Amino acid sequence: MFCTSALSPLQLPSRMETHLWYVLPNEVKSQSLLSQYVDLLSPLEKDHVFSMRGEELQKSALLARALVRTTIARYQIHSRVSPRSLVFRKNAHGKPEVIWEQSDDWHPPPLHFNLSHTSSLIACGVTVGSPIGIDVEEKQRTMKSNILSFAKRYFSCEEVEVLSAISDPEVQRHEFIKLWTLKEAYVKALGTGFSGAPFNTFTIRFGVANPNPEDSAIVIVPLEKPTNLTTNWQFAQVQLAGSHYAAICRQNDGLPGGASMKVIVRKTIPLVEEHCVPSIVPVDD
Amino acid sequence: MAAVPVTCVRLTISMNTNQIVGKSSLMKIVPMGRVKSGFPCLRTSHFRISCAAKPETVNKVCEIVKTQLALSADTVVTHDSKFSTLGADSLDTVEIVMTLEEEFGISVEEENSQNITTVQEAADLIESLVEKKNTNA
Repeated sequence: MFCTSALSPLQLPSRMETHLWYVLPNEVKSQSLLSQYVDLLSPLEKDHVFSMRGEELQKSALLARALVRTTIARYQIHSRVSPRSLVFRKNAHGKPEVIWEQSDDWHPPPLHFNLSHTSSLIACGVTVGSPIGIDVEEKQRTMKSNILSFAKRYFSCEEVEVLSAISDPEVQRHEFIKLWTLKEAYVKALGTGFSGAPFNTFTIRFGVANPNPEDSAIVIVPLEKPTNLTTNWQFAQVQLAGSHYAAICRQNDGLPGGASMKVIVRKTIPLVEEHCVPSIVPVDD
Repeated sequence: MAAVPVTCVRLTISMNTNQIVGKSSLMKIVPMGRVKSGFPCLRTSHFRISCAAKPETVNKVCEIVKTQLALSADTVVTHDSKFSTLGADSLDTVEIVMTLEEEFGISVEEENSQNITTVQEAADLIESLVEKKNTNA
């Protein structure tokens, strides 16, 4: 039987860093561990988890909540914070955030987080001082629709052109998925919902390839004038567990032009273990 | 649009006497949307009767959802099934919407896309868009 001893503390990400945590549901098998996770949840969260259809989806939903609660609590934010005591709410557009206990002697640090999951991987990104959006997708994910039809309906013309120019259908599918994760990460970072930044109102444009591909910046190009869309955002793309593409979007706080995001990736089993993994930029596979 | 006078019967349980007391009042209700086959859509502040989408529409949506999410044939999907509890992520939901657009010959605006979270909501939106399309045709 595991005991919920004090979780080992974590240092907050610096303002230049982004932390990315992920858990693989396949690696969490212990029923007693899953019960411990259930104990961390609020009544509403429990309802939500158990409303999911089938054990697999329930487990995935449970792990997502366990991941976010244990991770945030570990950032030594406040001695009174435990995974169970954290209170979450959704902003006006449905984006989840933490409600910190306010007191005279303590002001919470500007910690931001965002979750994303597939059935086989759950990820949580954490930043300090910048909103964050992340999205993960399985590399092997297949579309039911025709990719170019889908892109023509939902993406920008420029993006459709880029995808159309790819002759190999597998490569095209991979690039489509990566592009989806980038657009989704941006919209989630903005926090105004799908309708706040419809996908066809902005282009994700890749910088000109230069000797160091990690430095080629990804930029947002709003298509409407005037626009509500802000462009001071930076992106990172990483591969997780060899099976998933992840996109991260956070604000670009006037860093020297094109400086790439520093991402620290850690694979974890909440309450049990974690280890750092080297952050891998996807190569064409 | 004709205003339809309706007798609205409100049932309240009196706490003191444990009796059910009926009160009635006359309200003028303006039907929303075109009246089809003489059955108006009524929405009042006291109780709601929504125009339920036709069963065929609901069934078609269920079919499309099951295909998109690769659900087994014995998975029960009904009008109040939520996409997310069936395992749909945002990409699945958008694919579902696009399939519905193709199937029903409609176009769903982004703002409405976000509000489709259940089979019923999808079916209701489809029918209102099909109706609008037929009115404008």
